[in-house]
Amino acid sequence: MSSRSSALRYYILSRLLLAPLMIWTITTLVFLLLRATPGDPVDALLGERAPDSAKAALRERLGLDAPIWLQYLNYLGNLLRFDLGTSLATQGQSVVQIIGDHFPATLELTLLSMGVSVVVGVLVGVMAASRPNTPLDAGGRLFGIITYAVPMYWFGMLLQLLFAVQLRWFPIGSRFPLQMDPPAGPTGLYLLDSLLQGRFDAFAQSLYHLVLPSLTLGILLSGVFERIVRINLKKTLRSDYVEAARARGIPEVRIVFAHALKNALIPVITVLGLMIASLLGGAILTEVTFNWPGLANRLYEAIENRDYPVVQGIMVFFGVIVAMASILIDILNAWVDPRIRY
Amino acid sequence: MKAVLGVSLRQWRRVLQWVGLFGLCLALAVGCGASQESATPPDGATTPVGGRVSVGTTLKARTLDPADAYEIFPGILLYNMGDRLYTYAPGTTDLVPQLATALPIVSEDGLTYTIPLRDGVTFHDGTPFTAASMAFSIQRFMENGGRPSFLLAEKIASVAATGDRELTITLNSPFSAFPALLSFWGVTPVPVESYEIAAGSFKPESFVGTGPYKLASFSTDSIKLDVNPDYWGDAPSNEGIDIQLFSSPANLFNSFQTGNLDVAYQTLDPEQIASLERDAGQEGWSVIEAGTTVVNYLSLNMKMEPLDNPAVRGAIAAMVDRNLIRDRVFQGQADPLYSMIPKSFDVYQPVFQEAYGDGNFEQAKELLASAGFNESNPFELELWYPSASTIRSIVANTLKESIENGLPGIVTVNVQNVEAASLFENMEKGIYPAVLQNWYPDFFDVDNFVQPFMSCDQGSPETLCESGATFSDGTFYYSERANELIQQQRAELDPEVRNGMLEELQQLMIQDVPSIPLWQNKDYVFAQSGIEGVEIQPTQQFLFWQIAK
Repeated sequence: MSSRSSALRYYILSRLLLAPLMIWTITTLVFLLLRATPGDPVDALLGERAPDSAKAALRERLGLDAPIWLQYLNYLGNLLRFDLGTSLATQGQSVVQIIGDHFPATLELTLLSMGVSVVVGVLVGVMAASRPNTPLDAGGRLFGIITYAVPMYWFGMLLQLLFAVQLRWFPIGSRFPLQMDPPAGPTGLYLLDSLLQGRFDAFAQSLYHLVLPSLTLGILLSGVFERIVRINLKKTLRSDYVEAARARGIPEVRIVFAHALKNALIPVITVLGLMIASLLGGAILTEVTFNWPGLANRLYEAIENRDYPVVQGIMVFFGVIVAMASILIDILNAWVDPRIRY
Repeated sequence: MKAVLGVSLRQWRRVLQWVGLFGLCLALAVGCGASQESATPPDGATTPVGGRVSVGTTLKARTLDPADAYEIFPGILLYNMGDRLYTYAPGTTDLVPQLATALPIVSEDGLTYTIPLRDGVTFHDGTPFTAASMAFSIQRFMENGGRPSFLLAEKIASVAATGDRELTITLNSPFSAFPALLSFWGVTPVPVESYEIAAGSFKPESFVGTGPYKLASFSTDSIKLDVNPDYWGDAPSNEGIDIQLFSSPANLFNSFQTGNLDVAYQTLDPEQIASLERDAGQEGWSVIEAGTTVVNYLSLNMKMEPLDNPAVRGAIAAMVDRNLIRDRVFQGQADPLYSMIPKSFDVYQPVFQEAYGDGNFEQAKELLASAGFNESNPFELELWYPSASTIRSIVANTLKESIENGLPGIVTVNVQNVEAASLFENMEKGIYPAVLQNWYPDFFDVDNFVQPFMSCDQGSPETLCESGATFSDGTFYYSERANELIQQQRAELDPEVRNGMLEELQQLMIQDVPSIPLWQNKDYVFAQSGIEGVEIQPTQQFLFWQIAK
């Protein structure tokens, strides 16, 4: 037992030590790729017709006239001091402030979408696996294929047209009603802040505005869970201990939910970690499609403006989240599943 | 029985039946389920506050700092939250004093402008507006190095408060359009106590001015303006403005359709505009249409063969069919343009129509023949546009289709695109023969429509332009007469004499054809039933204070 726990400690330590290397790699790649893409941020800022003198002055002020290696060293130096710089486009907003302002909207959307995708994916997967070789099974497979294949923006627009424009069941285009004051709480998560303030009307509105974006992202990512649950549950339902349970006359529903599903859910933990990256990637499209004022939408805007510090800052932030999540999931997996070697 | 993926064909059929049934229900819901009421909010949600107007737009508000705001939308916000020395009387292009009490007194040499200022004006923070604060604001505009700083920095030699209510500005060289330039949204006073003069020092998320609205909140997705109760002028017709910023035209279109917005302003796709116009009668929407001063044109690289031949450039001017572009691409939502000066100015003359016509393939054939191009030696036109511009992509392909049909075997059009950043970065290198471009003016004066397309700071008839406006524009046009006329019209204070010079410049444009004007955009605003006073000004400004609910 003690050798297992010391091995686990060693494993955790090695994963944590690798994290800075992973983040440095992401940082360097983002820095280099941005400079390799066409377009000059000064042109984007001043317009291509601005006088050369104005362009040169701005380039100097922003430090863009320095050689790339010097810009890189300055950037790394600032990064070590947790200084992500200031937006080139707005010339006044710090990147940390931008992340702080926009990340709560992304987090709220991704958390709810994650919930939707787990619930939908597991339910469809269980239904399909518990009735193998039936239309339900085929429906589950079809669901998985469709959710993999359907483009996010197309599905988002379809839901908007159906549930917002035609049926008028849900609002679109904002995170909160324009006519109301949004909950101003410590977390920036409207659901949580409105509850902390006791503003239940604001809570209802926040949830109401979250429905369509989170359904879009959640449903499209639920195919991953559906497939894993369906395959694993099918395998588990054919195992000896399940057959033994059936022989003892235990009802099928109880066998599925109380015995087989637990084991079939272990790979879901691994996938949850991988899903963080997909969720953040999907969030960019969902936020743009639904006009959701999150960090991913802000990243899209910054890329358009060639706002180097903002793009770098958000990418590094996302990179850190994905790296940390993957480490956490690895550790969690190693802890819950004794078969994993480390 | 055969099986696919372990499921029998009969079972697959049943699955497909269910999917089909679901699809049918979906189609029925989409087709028939339209309700004309907006989404019912959950209990406890407030209904819109009476008198506050909600406006939706896809335009971006990058910054609210007047010394750095160079785009349309921040300009509109500053126009509504700030005042300027001069402005345009609503509904006209007449320049009238705003924070000034009269038009400037100009010295004989045209260099010194003395401006009397209004008394009794206060900033949103309660501090008084003075000549010193105006001088400070202009100085800050020039020195902080924001995007539009060059507009004034290149022209003003000094600015000083020569009295508590008098401002004196000295120019580097005479510039007759200077009062019009003073109506630019960024030349708005800000209090000395809240702002500083320092390169790169900007306040993108706040604004303190003297206008009818003050900023209540600012974020990347919404902006709220409250009425300034201490405003010196007429009070707005509404109780405030709530602006929702959208990331795509589809979001704006859907939100307006669902009744979540009172006003939808820029930018909708042509199909969406057509759809809203179609449904306006039934839904009770008002459609406000106005011409803009945005000029769309084709720039020709005069350094590149065979475009260095005026006959070839003339032939291209004759080939283009503006009416076809208007009808096929814009569904009537644009106006054909026959001069680089837009129709909003009296001096506009349809010179290209008179000289070359529209889709005039006979003339084009003759001009090309004179340049040695015919069926046995066809002319290939390489036409470039920025890849992200769907409109210009359709225009380029429409032109290709039209020209190749009109001049079969004589002209082939090779349509190319490149990412906008690369296109504009490489324009000065002279690698693109012909580019579809557009021009958003900085201020409302004709100079802003001739200088960028015809003036060159350095060059010769042999080398063409080596530095200056036409070098940046990628045409490399160099004409000593054009340079002379541009300088003269800038210094000329007599409007009639100036108009004569501008007419000659338009003639030079059809003679040398460095650029070919194509179309002038139209602006559209849609307002829900019960919203009054929505107008687009001839200067393209959108005055929030006129809107009543």
